[in-house]
Amino acid sequence: MKKVVIIHLTPFLLICSIVLCFFVQQNLSVKRENFLKRSDMDYILPSKVTGLAAMEFKGIVSDFLFLKASTFFGGKFIKNETLNAKHADYIYNFSDVITDLDPWFWDAYLFSNMLLTWDFGKIDQANTLLFKAREYRTTDFKVPYHIGFNYFYFLKDNIKGSQYMMEAAKLPGSPTYLASLASRLAMYQNQYKPAILFLEDILKKTRNPILAKQLETRLEALTVMNSLEKKIDAFKKKFGVFPDHLSDLINTGLVESIPDDPYGGKYILLENKRVYTTSKLVYK
Amino acid sequence: MIPKMVSLIFLSFKEGVRERALIGIGLFSLFMMGSAFVGVSLFMRDLHKVSVDINLSAITLAGLLLTFFVSINLISKDIDKHTIYCVLSKPFSRSQYIWGKYLGIMLLIVTAFCMLTLCSSVNLFLIKSQYDVYFQTFSWLEFYKAIYSELLMLFLLNAIVLFFSTITTSSFITLLFSLSIYVAGQTIEEVVLFLKTRSAADMALSETINTIIDITQYILPNLSVFDLKVHAAHAIPISYGYLFSITCYSLVYSVVLLLSASIIFNRRELN
Repeated sequence: MKKVVIIHLTPFLLICSIVLCFFVQQNLSVKRENFLKRSDMDYILPSKVTGLAAMEFKGIVSDFLFLKASTFFGGKFIKNETLNAKHADYIYNFSDVITDLDPWFWDAYLFSNMLLTWDFGKIDQANTLLFKAREYRTTDFKVPYHIGFNYFYFLKDNIKGSQYMMEAAKLPGSPTYLASLASRLAMYQNQYKPAILFLEDILKKTRNPILAKQLETRLEALTVMNSLEKKIDAFKKKFGVFPDHLSDLINTGLVESIPDDPYGGKYILLENKRVYTTSKLVYK
Repeated sequence: MIPKMVSLIFLSFKEGVRERALIGIGLFSLFMMGSAFVGVSLFMRDLHKVSVDINLSAITLAGLLLTFFVSINLISKDIDKHTIYCVLSKPFSRSQYIWGKYLGIMLLIVTAFCMLTLCSSVNLFLIKSQYDVYFQTFSWLEFYKAIYSELLMLFLLNAIVLFFSTITTSSFITLLFSLSIYVAGQTIEEVVLFLKTRSAADMALSETINTIIDITQYILPNLSVFDLKVHAAHAIPISYGYLFSITCYSLVYSVVLLLSASIIFNRRELN
């Protein structure tokens, strides 16, 4: 009798357990999400520890850490969450460890460079990582190319920018326009054009959809700013003076309207007659 | 003498092939290689690096699992279950038994490696044909060099396993000792390099500790010399001179361990 009861009861208990398991898992997912939100991943073990622990699996561990970092920041971008200085230190330390494990890992250098320069303004940290890349990726034109761009665009040092661009132009596989761009950098001082060229080049080879979306938005904003500055030059040629406001371009018929800033800000004309945006190229 | 050895080698090989763990290890490696298909799509540009990393790690893990779970069992089982008496009652010397066992295990590992390399090559070929643009810096030659060096590491590691099997009475202790030597061998180089840096000099380690580390680095095998995975992933050429050096290192170290194991095993009381 007992045996029969057990035989019939077991499938019933199994079904009940599976249903219970489903609810427990759902509940745990919510709790885990809250747990992860509270314990933001802003730490990483130093490479002296990670390197030893990874033993002969440094390559795959560096891949995993990179995936972890890119997923973390990807989530922040999707939710349009504000990034702070703590995040900048985090991305720097993370990339430093990843590139200690695999010093030739270009994705890690590129990812940290894009974030540290455009999102955090930490050009020195970005360059520190790029100089590390330069030690290992000796024949890769992309490394001096990015260093050169950082010097030119962010640090406003055209001489050094041109120097590194020249170095990049001499390396195999570099784009044909690089040599002429390097020589004309001084001419492009305070212009958005090199940034547009730079972002277009990155975008062409970027497969990550989250990063591609970020780059497209930035490119869109810079293209508008570049085209507005060209109209300002046209205004100067026509009337002999610079416009006081961007609306003057509409009033004189040079543009039909001022496009919307994809970051949610508003394009403005600065006192030095340069076009910028109130969003500072960061989501409002 | 040679036919006797050959029969011992094939006996050990067949014994290894019968181990059920082999199927599990094979499936695990194939699953890991297959995950590269999905894994690479999450990266931006270094797709060749990620796929090589995953494939080489899968092969290495399979080799390690074979060593720590199959090899150890093959040797210790004979002593634990007293089947060694049957083998030694045949006209084999104990030294021949050790060498035959070792070469049989190595035959098993080489066969497994050949099969995994084939699967891995097909896997990489498929990924490469899908993302050809991102495989411009990929090199098959460097990929195979990394697999070869991994095989050399396993030659040495199995000699270590065999050495410990002859001096211990339980397979668990052999596993523990071999695993410790593996971990220490993989990390000793990094520890020594760290101790040479300025930050470590500030720690002011005692003279005794420095001496111990110095002696340890000469006794322990430096297993990190066989790790060429990162180089293969970025197609950084490894010279044939370096490959020759690590081949000699692995062979000489293995021979020393196997000769020591033979001497110990010849004097061992098998009660």
